[in-house]
Amino acid sequence: MQILLPIATYFGYIFIIVMYSAKLVKYLNLPMHLRSEVYPVIPGDQTSREKSYYENLDWWTKPRRRNNLRRIWFLISDYFALREYFRRDPGYWVVLYPWHIGFITIITFHILSFFGALFSVLGIPVTSESSSVVGTVMYYLCLWTGAISFTAGVFGSVGVFVKRLATKDLRDYATPQMYFTYLFLLAVFLSGLYAWCFVDPTFSEYRDFWKGLITLKPINVKPASALHILLFDLLLIYLPFTRSLHYITRLFGFLLIRWDDEPNLRGSHTEQKINEMLNWKLSWGGPHIKHGSTWKEEVATESTRHETV
Amino acid sequence: MNRQEGNLVEIHSGDLMPLPDISDAAMQEPSLKGLTEEQKRQYESSLDGFVAIGIPRPKDRQEEDAIVRRFLAGLEKLLDKENNWTFLQPLVHSLEYCVKCQLCSDSCPVFVTSGRKEIYRPTFRPELLRRIINKYIKKQNPLLVKVTRSDIDLNFKVVARLAELAYRCTLCRRCAQVCPIGVDNALVSREIRKLFSQELGIAPREIHELGTVQQLKVGSTTGITPPALKDLLNFIEEEIKEKTGKEIKIPLDKKGADVLLLHNAGEFLSWPENIEAFAILFEAANIRWTLSSELAGYDAVNYGVWYDDVQMARIAVKHAQVAKELQVKKISVGECGHAHKAFIVVADRVLTGDLNIPRESAFPLLEHFVLSGKLRLDPGRNNFPVTLHDPCNVVRLMGIVEPQRRILRKICPQFVEMEPHGVDNYCCGGGSGFAVMSSRNFPDWRIHISGRMKLKQILEAFSGKLIPEIKKYVCAPCSNCKGQIRDIINAYGLSEKYGIRYGGLVELVVNAMPDIKKPFIEWESP
Repeated sequence: MQILLPIATYFGYIFIIVMYSAKLVKYLNLPMHLRSEVYPVIPGDQTSREKSYYENLDWWTKPRRRNNLRRIWFLISDYFALREYFRRDPGYWVVLYPWHIGFITIITFHILSFFGALFSVLGIPVTSESSSVVGTVMYYLCLWTGAISFTAGVFGSVGVFVKRLATKDLRDYATPQMYFTYLFLLAVFLSGLYAWCFVDPTFSEYRDFWKGLITLKPINVKPASALHILLFDLLLIYLPFTRSLHYITRLFGFLLIRWDDEPNLRGSHTEQKINEMLNWKLSWGGPHIKHGSTWKEEVATESTRHETV
Repeated sequence: MNRQEGNLVEIHSGDLMPLPDISDAAMQEPSLKGLTEEQKRQYESSLDGFVAIGIPRPKDRQEEDAIVRRFLAGLEKLLDKENNWTFLQPLVHSLEYCVKCQLCSDSCPVFVTSGRKEIYRPTFRPELLRRIINKYIKKQNPLLVKVTRSDIDLNFKVVARLAELAYRCTLCRRCAQVCPIGVDNALVSREIRKLFSQELGIAPREIHELGTVQQLKVGSTTGITPPALKDLLNFIEEEIKEKTGKEIKIPLDKKGADVLLLHNAGEFLSWPENIEAFAILFEAANIRWTLSSELAGYDAVNYGVWYDDVQMARIAVKHAQVAKELQVKKISVGECGHAHKAFIVVADRVLTGDLNIPRESAFPLLEHFVLSGKLRLDPGRNNFPVTLHDPCNVVRLMGIVEPQRRILRKICPQFVEMEPHGVDNYCCGGGSGFAVMSSRNFPDWRIHISGRMKLKQILEAFSGKLIPEIKKYVCAPCSNCKGQIRDIINAYGLSEKYGIRYGGLVELVVNAMPDIKKPFIEWESP
């Protein structure tokens, strides 16, 4: 166990970073698409939503207002609010929200624990009465994120499992994999909760475990802590095979698709890319499409062929 | 979807969303028209007993299998970047990351008004496609197929039902608007339509052969040819003279004009008063404008935006070429919702070089006329209840919400909003081509199911005034929406019973011009 846990931990973190990165790169490398924006920007905000520039006469001669910071703030803050769920299905939000908060904080907790261990290695004690303010702050951050994640996570995992099973609209679209995921997460949160309550109330043992990983001097931990660490590592390996990446792709779904109202201007980078893609070949079998011709050939007439780059 | 016997769902009037309780009980619910026996024999109709496309039943098993093979070939191309760069990223995002929380369900008017029939739920179609992809394209191993519930048997019936099901979504995208993940289930419906058209050549005749193909060949989806257009314009000029006393010559093919008005050719035939109103306003505002008599130049429609990227791009390029030849400074899209979206937004990344001519909606231009004081207007001439139907393509899909409202608030003293409105509007039920699809029993579906929410909104907006003596106007600044609302009004007798008529926005502006003695808006049944 002294060797198995560190190996599982190194592997789990590296695996999820590599897999998530690969999936994200694949997603972001998908070609530029035609515009399909949906209004309003900032969902549900009817008072100060960004207006469409199409409301302006001769819009191309006027500056286009766009507040990217506000858009990003909306998206990030929504992780901690789940506004549309609260607005449209509060009964679902009651269990979904703690489940999501549990998920966000368990990731945060483990990352903070790593940094807590690093501080210790660097000589900053991470305790409630540390000689360093940074150490004390880190101690309490670890404590709170851990406590919140396990408590909220257990409640939420049970809640979403029951909700999905008990609600026909949700049950009819549920898959065995979904139920497995809920139960797996429940096991992760429950093991963490148990370890916190009965074995490692200050999470100092867990920080020592990380210290062992950083200094390459792994330590033994108590069985309850070991169980949680192992389950969390297995979770990291399992997550890339679920839809969990929606936490990140959601940002791109809004910024690159739903809110992408950037017009194509002559001579722009957008136009360059479009001209490249218009040279790609079509292999559709429909009678009105010539198999093997390029988009440009199929769509453009003689005069347009000369105009495009 | 694999059920072999009978329809997948049965639609009964009693299941549908109730309409407002109107105390004079004049509202009779027409019965839903079924297919004839001959139609049932001829066409695959086992989805819900209605037929939008009219897929002929294959002669034998071999033909069925060929269709399934071609469907799968098309599905591969839908997920291929060279064949589908146009919408691949939004499609992949929607297929991969939907968490099936069903938050979108209640936002879908078709799902709600049908009595919550499962096949119309926004997530149903994409989930079906997802499972087919898992099993037949990704070829997941049997265990994974089981745990993702992708164990679906693909056969002709499933494929044909999916094709029909793609035409049970108006592409209004209310579902996309509420999704917290950025998933767009309406887009998936549209991609399914594209697969069937671009690979198998399957699409409703009204939007393909009589739609995009006819437009590219003859000039317009209405069949109007350039010579016929000139005759129509002569007629319209005579009408203007008769109604207003003004001699207005509608400019045609004027090189170097400031504005090319691109309008739905259906207006020339069905609602010439709308073109007349534009001509009167442009004349009064001293705008240097023109229409075009070139092939497709006089018909703003682009049905391709509903079902086929290649057709969409062809028509958009044709429109741009017309404007380029005329050397106009900008193109103004008239009262046609999907033309707004197709030409200004979707085709924006198809038009490059000097085909990329400035394009805008006519609404800001109209707003400029009305609010700038350039025109003398008397709101007292529009002193009747008016409500506004927001075309989806203009509000939710382009964000043009206020200009038309500022106009109505200025010239219509009894303007009242429908609820909800603006970006949260409901589709008229004729969106995505439904308004022009009138064969077999499909009109019944679109009037009584997809159009039901709009009927409810109209009745509620005019609540307390639903007597025939009070003339009421549904302002619908979109040709297809007008067609659908006309059909709803006729089906339920709203004109005779409640004095409700419909029309565009520009007619209201002209109606408010005091120098035109005769009221421009006529109140007989349309």
